[in-house]
Amino acid sequence: MGTISFALKNNLSELDVLCDHISQFSRSCGASKRQTFEINLALDELFTNIISHGFADEEEHHVHVTCVNEGGVLTITIEDDGIPFNPTGAPHPNLACAFKDREIGGLGIHLIRSYMDRIDYTREDGKNVLVLTKAL
Amino acid sequence: MDITETKHDHYSVFKLNGRLDSNTAMGFEQKLFECMENGTQRMILDFQELDYISSAGLRVILKATKNLKSAEGKLVLCAMQDYVKEVFEISGFDSFLPIEATLDDAVKTV
Repeated sequence: MGTISFALKNNLSELDVLCDHISQFSRSCGASKRQTFEINLALDELFTNIISHGFADEEEHHVHVTCVNEGGVLTITIEDDGIPFNPTGAPHPNLACAFKDREIGGLGIHLIRSYMDRIDYTREDGKNVLVLTKAL
Repeated sequence: MDITETKHDHYSVFKLNGRLDSNTAMGFEQKLFECMENGTQRMILDFQELDYISSAGLRVILKATKNLKSAEGKLVLCAMQDYVKEVFEISGFDSFLPIEATLDDAVKTV
Protein backbone atom coordinates (compact mmCIF):
# COMPACT_ATOMS: atom_id res chain seq x y z
CA MET A 1 0.00 0.00 0.00
CA GLY A 2 1.42 3.39 -0.99
CA THR A 3 0.57 6.74 0.55
CA ILE A 4 1.60 10.32 -0.06
CA SER A 5 0.53 13.48 1.68
CA PHE A 6 1.24 17.10 0.84
CA ALA A 7 -0.07 20.63 1.33
CA LEU A 8 -0.60 23.29 -1.31
CA LYS A 9 -0.95 27.02 -0.86
CA ASN A 10 -4.16 28.57 -2.17
CA ASN A 11 -2.47 29.86 -5.30
CA LEU A 12 -2.95 28.77 -8.91
CA SER A 13 0.80 28.55 -9.37
CA GLU A 14 0.66 25.48 -7.09
CA LEU A 15 -1.13 23.60 -9.87
CA ASP A 16 2.23 22.49 -11.25
CA VAL A 17 3.22 21.12 -7.84
CA LEU A 18 -0.10 19.28 -7.62
CA CYS A 19 0.38 17.83 -11.09
CA ASP A 20 3.91 16.62 -10.31
CA HIS A 21 2.85 14.89 -7.08
CA ILE A 22 -0.23 13.28 -8.61
CA SER A 23 1.55 12.14 -11.77
CA GLN A 24 4.38 10.57 -9.82
CA PHE A 25 2.02 8.84 -7.41
CA SER A 26 -0.32 7.58 -10.13
CA ARG A 27 2.48 6.18 -12.25
CA SER A 28 4.03 4.49 -9.21
CA CYS A 29 0.68 2.75 -8.64
CA GLY A 30 0.75 1.43 -12.19
CA ALA A 31 -1.75 3.88 -13.66
CA SER A 32 -1.70 4.23 -17.45
CA LYS A 33 -0.91 7.56 -19.16
CA ARG A 34 -4.64 8.05 -19.74
CA GLN A 35 -5.55 7.29 -16.11
CA THR A 36 -2.83 9.65 -14.87
CA PHE A 37 -4.26 12.35 -17.13
CA GLU A 38 -7.77 11.71 -15.77
CA ILE A 39 -6.72 11.85 -12.13
CA ASN A 40 -4.66 14.98 -12.77
CA LEU A 41 -7.58 16.69 -14.46
CA ALA A 42 -10.03 15.82 -11.67
CA LEU A 43 -7.66 17.18 -9.02
CA ASP A 44 -6.88 20.26 -11.12
CA GLU A 45 -10.55 21.12 -11.51
CA LEU A 46 -11.18 20.59 -7.81
CA PHE A 47 -8.18 22.59 -6.68
CA THR A 48 -8.99 25.43 -9.11
CA ASN A 49 -12.55 25.52 -7.76
CA ILE A 50 -11.35 25.68 -4.16
CA ILE A 51 -8.85 28.45 -4.95
CA SER A 52 -11.31 30.49 -7.00
CA HIS A 53 -14.36 30.26 -4.77
CA GLY A 54 -13.40 28.77 -1.45
CA PHE A 55 -11.84 31.61 0.49
CA ALA A 56 -13.52 34.87 1.40
CA ASP A 57 -10.37 36.57 2.69
CA GLU A 58 -6.97 37.50 1.27
CA GLU A 59 -5.11 35.25 3.69
CA GLU A 60 -2.89 32.35 2.78
CA HIS A 61 -4.64 29.02 3.21
CA HIS A 62 -3.48 25.48 2.71
CA VAL A 63 -5.19 22.66 0.89
CA HIS A 64 -4.16 19.24 2.17
CA VAL A 65 -4.03 16.28 -0.17
CA THR A 66 -3.55 12.64 0.79
CA CYS A 67 -3.36 9.82 -1.74
CA VAL A 68 -3.64 6.17 -0.77
CA ASN A 69 -3.32 3.11 -2.96
CA GLU A 70 -4.92 -0.08 -1.71
CA GLY A 71 -4.73 -2.92 -4.16
CA GLY A 72 -5.10 -0.69 -7.21
CA VAL A 73 -7.88 1.44 -5.76
CA LEU A 74 -6.76 5.03 -5.31
CA THR A 75 -8.37 7.13 -2.59
CA ILE A 76 -7.55 10.83 -2.71
CA THR A 77 -8.64 13.08 0.14
CA ILE A 78 -8.65 16.85 -0.28
CA GLU A 79 -9.18 19.04 2.75
CA ASP A 80 -9.54 22.84 2.90
CA ASP A 81 -10.69 25.29 5.54
CA GLY A 82 -12.67 27.44 3.12
CA ILE A 83 -16.35 28.31 3.09
CA PRO A 84 -18.67 25.29 3.12
CA PHE A 85 -18.98 23.99 -0.41
CA ASN A 86 -20.22 20.61 -1.55
CA PRO A 87 -19.39 20.03 -5.23
CA THR A 88 -21.42 16.82 -5.28
CA GLY A 89 -24.52 18.93 -4.86
CA ALA A 90 -23.81 21.08 -7.89
CA PRO A 91 -26.33 20.81 -10.74
CA HIS A 92 -25.28 18.94 -13.88
CA PRO A 93 -24.43 21.27 -16.76
CA ASN A 94 -26.80 21.34 -19.69
CA LEU A 95 -24.71 19.64 -22.36
CA ALA A 96 -27.47 19.49 -24.92
CA CYS A 97 -28.34 23.15 -25.12
CA ALA A 98 -27.68 25.25 -28.21
CA PHE A 99 -24.13 26.42 -28.79
CA LYS A 100 -24.90 30.08 -28.28
CA ASP A 101 -26.29 29.29 -24.83
CA ARG A 102 -23.39 27.05 -23.75
CA GLU A 103 -21.69 28.17 -20.60
CA ILE A 104 -18.63 26.84 -18.85
CA GLY A 105 -20.27 26.72 -15.43
CA GLY A 106 -20.41 23.27 -13.93
CA LEU A 107 -18.00 21.78 -16.44
CA GLY A 108 -15.18 21.23 -13.94
CA ILE A 109 -17.40 19.23 -11.63
CA HIS A 110 -18.85 17.31 -14.55
CA LEU A 111 -15.34 16.28 -15.57
CA ILE A 112 -14.49 15.23 -11.99
CA ARG A 113 -17.64 13.08 -11.89
CA SER A 114 -16.80 11.51 -15.24
CA TYR A 115 -13.26 10.56 -14.36
CA MET A 116 -13.59 9.40 -10.77
CA ASP A 117 -15.58 6.40 -9.59
CA ARG A 118 -16.83 8.08 -6.43
CA ILE A 119 -16.91 11.54 -4.88
CA ASP A 120 -17.88 11.83 -1.21
CA TYR A 121 -18.16 15.07 0.68
CA THR A 122 -18.31 15.85 4.37
CA ARG A 123 -17.87 18.98 6.43
CA GLU A 124 -15.73 18.29 9.53
CA ASP A 125 -14.29 20.68 12.11
CA GLY A 126 -14.81 23.70 9.88
CA LYS A 127 -13.23 21.96 6.88
CA ASN A 128 -14.49 20.73 3.53
CA VAL A 129 -13.35 17.13 3.13
CA LEU A 130 -13.68 15.58 -0.27
CA VAL A 131 -12.80 11.96 -0.96
CA LEU A 132 -12.28 10.84 -4.56
CA THR A 133 -11.98 7.16 -5.42
CA LYS A 134 -10.74 5.56 -8.60
CA ALA A 135 -10.01 1.93 -9.36
CA LEU A 136 -7.12 1.48 -11.76
CA MET B 1 2.84 26.36 -22.65
CA ASP B 2 4.35 27.58 -25.93
CA ILE B 3 2.22 28.85 -28.77
CA THR B 4 3.67 29.05 -32.28
CA GLU B 5 1.66 31.00 -34.81
CA THR B 6 2.02 30.38 -38.53
CA LYS B 7 0.16 32.76 -40.83
CA HIS B 8 -1.17 31.60 -44.20
CA ASP B 9 -3.16 33.43 -46.86
CA HIS B 10 -6.58 33.19 -45.33
CA TYR B 11 -5.97 31.39 -42.03
CA SER B 12 -3.55 31.08 -39.11
CA VAL B 13 -2.33 27.93 -37.39
CA PHE B 14 -1.60 27.99 -33.66
CA LYS B 15 0.50 25.08 -32.52
CA LEU B 16 0.28 24.51 -28.76
CA ASN B 17 3.07 22.79 -26.87
CA GLY B 18 2.58 21.69 -23.27
CA ARG B 19 -0.35 22.18 -20.90
CA LEU B 20 -3.45 24.33 -21.31
CA ASP B 21 -4.65 24.82 -17.73
CA SER B 22 -5.79 27.64 -15.39
CA ASN B 23 -2.24 29.00 -15.35
CA THR B 24 -1.68 29.16 -19.09
CA ALA B 25 -5.25 29.80 -20.28
CA MET B 26 -5.13 33.57 -19.82
CA GLY B 27 -2.02 34.00 -21.98
CA PHE B 28 -3.61 31.81 -24.62
CA GLU B 29 -6.82 33.86 -24.58
CA GLN B 30 -4.85 37.09 -24.94
CA LYS B 31 -2.95 35.69 -27.92
CA LEU B 32 -6.08 34.49 -29.71
CA PHE B 33 -8.02 37.69 -29.15
CA GLU B 34 -5.07 39.82 -30.24
CA CYS B 35 -5.03 37.93 -33.52
CA MET B 36 -8.77 38.29 -33.95
CA GLU B 37 -8.49 42.03 -33.35
CA ASN B 38 -5.83 42.16 -36.06
CA GLY B 39 -8.26 40.62 -38.49
CA THR B 40 -7.58 36.87 -38.31
CA GLN B 41 -10.91 35.17 -38.88
CA ARG B 42 -9.96 31.60 -39.67
CA MET B 43 -7.92 29.69 -37.13
CA ILE B 44 -6.60 26.20 -36.68
CA LEU B 45 -5.49 24.98 -33.26
CA ASP B 46 -2.92 22.22 -33.69
CA PHE B 47 -2.96 20.02 -30.58
CA GLN B 48 -0.27 17.56 -31.71
CA GLU B 49 2.08 18.62 -28.86
CA LEU B 50 -0.62 19.40 -26.31
CA ASP B 51 -0.40 16.99 -23.35
CA TYR B 52 -3.18 18.38 -21.22
CA ILE B 53 -6.33 20.51 -21.21
CA SER B 54 -8.67 21.50 -18.39
CA SER B 55 -11.99 23.38 -18.34
CA ALA B 56 -10.01 26.65 -18.27
CA GLY B 57 -8.76 25.80 -21.76
CA LEU B 58 -12.23 24.84 -22.92
CA ARG B 59 -13.50 28.20 -21.66
CA VAL B 60 -11.02 30.08 -23.86
CA ILE B 61 -11.87 27.96 -26.90
CA LEU B 62 -15.60 28.50 -26.38
CA LYS B 63 -15.12 32.25 -26.01
CA ALA B 64 -12.95 32.45 -29.13
CA THR B 65 -15.37 30.33 -31.15
CA LYS B 66 -18.34 32.51 -30.17
CA ASN B 67 -16.37 35.61 -31.11
CA LEU B 68 -15.30 34.20 -34.48
CA LYS B 69 -18.77 32.95 -35.35
CA SER B 70 -20.27 36.38 -34.81
CA ALA B 71 -17.75 37.70 -37.37
CA GLU B 72 -18.45 34.79 -39.76
CA GLY B 73 -15.07 33.29 -38.93
CA LYS B 74 -14.12 29.71 -38.08
CA LEU B 75 -12.07 27.77 -35.56
CA VAL B 76 -10.94 24.21 -36.27
CA LEU B 77 -9.13 21.91 -33.85
CA CYS B 78 -6.87 19.06 -34.91
CA ALA B 79 -4.36 16.33 -34.01
CA MET B 80 -5.60 15.65 -30.48
CA GLN B 81 -4.32 12.88 -28.23
CA ASP B 82 -7.20 10.50 -27.60
CA TYR B 83 -7.59 11.43 -23.94
CA VAL B 84 -7.60 15.16 -24.84
CA LYS B 85 -10.34 14.49 -27.38
CA GLU B 86 -12.30 12.69 -24.70
CA VAL B 87 -12.43 15.89 -22.62
CA PHE B 88 -14.20 17.58 -25.53
CA GLU B 89 -16.56 14.62 -25.90
CA ILE B 90 -17.43 14.45 -22.19
CA SER B 91 -18.10 18.19 -22.19
CA GLY B 92 -20.25 17.98 -25.29
CA PHE B 93 -17.94 20.43 -27.04
CA ASP B 94 -17.48 18.07 -29.97
CA SER B 95 -21.06 18.80 -30.98
CA PHE B 96 -20.25 22.34 -32.07
CA LEU B 97 -16.48 22.41 -32.56
CA PRO B 98 -14.97 20.94 -35.72
CA ILE B 99 -12.29 18.46 -34.64
CA GLU B 100 -10.12 16.97 -37.38
CA ALA B 101 -7.66 14.09 -37.09
CA THR B 102 -4.76 15.83 -38.82
CA LEU B 103 -3.53 19.31 -39.67
CA ASP B 104 -4.02 18.55 -43.38
CA ASP B 105 -7.67 17.71 -42.75
CA ALA B 106 -8.07 20.92 -40.74
CA VAL B 107 -6.58 23.01 -43.55
CA LYS B 108 -9.18 21.57 -45.94
CA THR B 109 -12.02 22.46 -43.54
CA VAL B 110 -11.05 25.90 -42.27
